[in-house]
Amino acid sequence: MAKDHRAGSKVRGEKLPAILMASHLLEGDTVFKTDAGWTRDPSAAKIAHDAETAAAMEAEGKAAAAANLVIDPYLVPVDLTDSGLPVAKHFRDVMRQKGPSIHPDMGKQAEFPPLR
Amino acid sequence: MYRYDEFDERFVRERVAQFRGQVERRLDGSLSEDEFKPLRLKNGLYLQLHAYMLRIAVPYGTLNSAQLRMLAHIAETYDKGYGHFTTRQNLQFNWPKLKDVPTILELLADVEMHCIQTSGNCIRNVTSDQFAGVAKDEVEDPRPTAELIRQWSSLHPEFVWLPRKFKIAVTGAEHDRAAIMVHDIGLKLKRNDQGAVGYEVIVGGGLGRTPMIGKVVREFLPKDELLAYLEAVMRVYNSEGRRDNKFKARVKILVHETGEEEFRARVEEEYARLDGPTINAPEEEVERIAAYFAAPTYETLPEASQVLEQARAIDPEFDRFVEQNSFEHKQPGYIALTIALKEIGAVPGDMSGDQMRAFADIAETYSFDEFRVTHSQNLVLPHVKKDDLPAVHAALKAAGLASANAGLITDIIACPGLDYCALATAKSIPIAQAIAKTFADQERQKAIGELPIKISGCINACGHHHVGAIGILGLEKGGRENYQITVGGDATEHAALGERLGPGIDAEDVPAAIEAIVETYLAEKQGSESFMETVRRTGAEPFKTGFTAFIESRAVESEAAQS
Repeated sequence: MAKDHRAGSKVRGEKLPAILMASHLLEGDTVFKTDAGWTRDPSAAKIAHDAETAAAMEAEGKAAAAANLVIDPYLVPVDLTDSGLPVAKHFRDVMRQKGPSIHPDMGKQAEFPPLR
Repeated sequence: MYRYDEFDERFVRERVAQFRGQVERRLDGSLSEDEFKPLRLKNGLYLQLHAYMLRIAVPYGTLNSAQLRMLAHIAETYDKGYGHFTTRQNLQFNWPKLKDVPTILELLADVEMHCIQTSGNCIRNVTSDQFAGVAKDEVEDPRPTAELIRQWSSLHPEFVWLPRKFKIAVTGAEHDRAAIMVHDIGLKLKRNDQGAVGYEVIVGGGLGRTPMIGKVVREFLPKDELLAYLEAVMRVYNSEGRRDNKFKARVKILVHETGEEEFRARVEEEYARLDGPTINAPEEEVERIAAYFAAPTYETLPEASQVLEQARAIDPEFDRFVEQNSFEHKQPGYIALTIALKEIGAVPGDMSGDQMRAFADIAETYSFDEFRVTHSQNLVLPHVKKDDLPAVHAALKAAGLASANAGLITDIIACPGLDYCALATAKSIPIAQAIAKTFADQERQKAIGELPIKISGCINACGHHHVGAIGILGLEKGGRENYQITVGGDATEHAALGERLGPGIDAEDVPAAIEAIVETYLAEKQGSESFMETVRRTGAEPFKTGFTAFIESRAVESEAAQS
């Protein structure tokens, strides 16, 4: 069976800070790990600044996938804005944080404030 | 149009019930994602960047108004109000939720539609000429063949787990509008010297990361031997196609590695072993299917229409639309009309729920309740009375569907690309939009003439870039989106793969690069040559020279800007 989903970050080099991104099983929507669980708001994603936190988040992601909450969780390296919000380093992950570039009225960008 | 019999109906309903059960088991945790994924893919359900995506089969691109109204209902109730027509003549919804998909499949079954075999390693939806049954250069209507293959290949027990996906296209016309040379199997209906109808069988074409032009495996196959012969080809592929490497698993690689002669010999050997009569469809079944595709009850009309001529004479916009988007019909007094889903700045192939409803009304009133989807992501009203054209144009215009650019430089094929697709390496749709805006001027488009541009956002080539007169391939290079440009690709009976002009360029440079290529064409053009005719005569060299000059001028501009 061909893989239909190219999961995983495409960033080379520095992997931190990072957030954990996945697809919600029921909705298919992109979700982000928080301390409490998962959020659809890209601004509310928990940020791992060190390897231990990142590893713990990754383990929580795998557990959530095993528990059929999310699909394909993976760590996404980010840059932080002046206000400390995480913007993905790779343009593919940025697309998932925002929504389709051709439809500003759809996806996260339509519902949540931009990552500034 | 074909209508489901009791077997079709039961088969599709059973499949919906099965999938509902599978989704329930996925949601209650008794199926893991690894277990569920092959099941959902077999029902056309993908997981993309932002959401699930549901791909709906449109067998050989034929639909009626009730089906389109249902698609509008689904778009507005379970998606975000629009659908996307694809290069495989299918329709995709980009935002369905998993829990809603069984209900969507149920609604589709109500109008004799489904998503079966629109994904996975099986024989996919069969595609065909959008002017099937209409074209003057047709030996025979290809749709009965396509329908016969659909029935034979649906859940064929031997071919549901092939080494890789398998795509079949059929044409009945001399001029190939179904791209049969770049399909796993291409079939062309033809007559032999004795006047009998049969098929030329082409195997091993394809695009993707290893593009290949198909090889003629049988010059003439008698019509009634089709299924047994297809079965022989599929058996050779199923047993000998590579399963160790996904990138080498398509039949094109098997044909290439085995060699054309040897592959042909193996197929013929397998064919000789098969018991043809038990496999080939009985004549009465072939006739039963063909009866569904009988020509509609046309009126007897003169070839020319005074109503049409008068309307064209007083309305230049209408005149332009008719000139560009109409296709000669074999029935006097009728034409086939292409509806380009390519308004300047729009997303190629997208259609809103409102547009679907308006178009359903138009097809019902003016085209015997039938329309077609083209592999160029456009629609066709196959049987419009010339006398009705002014009214049809007015209705299309009111729905935002009267774009007069079919076949022109702004009628661009683009895959969904990175805006939606999980496999994409670069955006595709915004490139198409930028090029369309650059060439928006109608007079300029007309002066350039027919020029199919095809854009893919990754090497898998859903946008058919290899066979675009100008092909654009978006890749990732050094953490940025980068676009390679080819010229000379051709998906017709002159099938050819495009030749790369030079290094990849940034997204913002693509429209100007296309302008440079067009300038080369206009400078090299002799007489009334089309872009493709010029490229065929000159080869890619002058275009490479023009492209290199463009890259150099950009480098100079960029240096000047930085100093």
